[in-house]
Amino acid sequence: MALPEDSSQPRLAAGCRWGGTEEARVILFPEGAIKLQGTGRQVLEQCDGQRTFGQIIQELQAQFTDADPAKIRADISQFLEQLRHKRIVDY
Amino acid sequence: MIPNPLALIAEVTHRCPLHCVYCSNPLQLAGLSSELSTAEWVNILQQAGKLGMLHAHFTGGEPLARPDLTELIAAARAAGLYTNLITSGIGLAEKRLQALVEAGLDHIQLSFQDSREDSANWIAGAKAHAYKIELSSMIRRHKIAFTVNLVVHRQNIDHLEEMIAFIEELAPQRIEIAHTQYYGWALQNRAALLPTRPQLEKAVQAVEAAEKRLAGRIRVDSVVPDYYARFPKACMGGWGRRLMLINPAGKVLPCHAAEVIPGLAFENVREQTLEFIWQQSSSFQRFRGEEWMPEPCRSCNQRAEDFGGCRCQALLLTGNATATDPACSLAPAHHIVEAALAEANSTAAISQPISAGSFVQLQQRARSFWSYRTNPE
Repeated sequence: MALPEDSSQPRLAAGCRWGGTEEARVILFPEGAIKLQGTGRQVLEQCDGQRTFGQIIQELQAQFTDADPAKIRADISQFLEQLRHKRIVDY
Repeated sequence: MIPNPLALIAEVTHRCPLHCVYCSNPLQLAGLSSELSTAEWVNILQQAGKLGMLHAHFTGGEPLARPDLTELIAAARAAGLYTNLITSGIGLAEKRLQALVEAGLDHIQLSFQDSREDSANWIAGAKAHAYKIELSSMIRRHKIAFTVNLVVHRQNIDHLEEMIAFIEELAPQRIEIAHTQYYGWALQNRAALLPTRPQLEKAVQAVEAAEKRLAGRIRVDSVVPDYYARFPKACMGGWGRRLMLINPAGKVLPCHAAEVIPGLAFENVREQTLEFIWQQSSSFQRFRGEEWMPEPCRSCNQRAEDFGGCRCQALLLTGNATATDPACSLAPAHHIVEAALAEANSTAAISQPISAGSFVQLQQRARSFWSYRTNPE
């Protein structure tokens, strides 16, 4: 299954949306909910179907200058791929 | 404090245009005259939101049989709930679908009985199949989640691959392969529904192949039927741990079948709040936690995984709701399930799979070995 490409525009899949409270934000989907914190939440908040995967990665790489940029890319790719597998994210 | 429930199962009516032989509704169905009013349901949904629940699953019977369904969906959304409609699709035309989506419907789970029309209609006891196909393309035009649910059993499981390919054409985001659970009507019809072991093994392979093939496009969810499993299912995620079910007449139950358990008194939303019932009712506390457990559950490592299995199944098969679920290979009463499996796997079984044939031929055959779900008064 394909990882996102730089030009991909990740977004929440049909029927998935944000819910919960500001302190405990969740993504609601048919079978349940995922609680999101930290970087995971930050990444998914960027997945608005407008920004490209390339832009999202660049921003994170600029923010976390201590981390290996290649690792950031690999981690976020995998994160989005897993969510796509669950039909929570599309790109 | 007991953690809040996560989801509300709203059985808004027991009326249904289908008569599926595998229906897990209780044999004692609630009639129209006892159903909760719109205002009562709106109040329940508001309470559910305040209690911190995240999902409202509208089910039945057929929820579309309620003319106020759009209003109920809107009320659930207003209460902050994710809304899921579990439906046969009968009664859903484009205009009503549009209204439901505008009211905030998040997800439709549409059931199919088979890929073959005659067989599907035979299992449902109604001519519903062609319309469900039509409805699928309508649903896809809306921006909501779409799951196709397929209930499998002895009569259709032999062509599971064909059924999955059929569903793939309908292009949902999810396929749920649900093995029949033996409660209510399904338990009555068990001999005609319980698959053989070779059937099951072939089905497991078909599901695994489909998962791989459809990865990233269609999510495939499936659970091994508990009769053939080593350990029982974690029924409802544990009694009184995650879910509250409201039946059409307002009774609040820990699960679909709980009313079969003698000696339990269930509160009604007309008299008590959901919060009180969740926190304090004797029915929700009865099998919560581990205190009630007999051996071998009490000292078993699995007890935090499966919570001793299903209380209703224990009652239905052993006559004792506090027994270890007989589906468990360690249960003292496991021989009851083994006997059912032995019969299902015997060559003399009363109902060899017969899903091929015209609707009329199938119907004639059906009379001899299963009974259709009826409708409440």
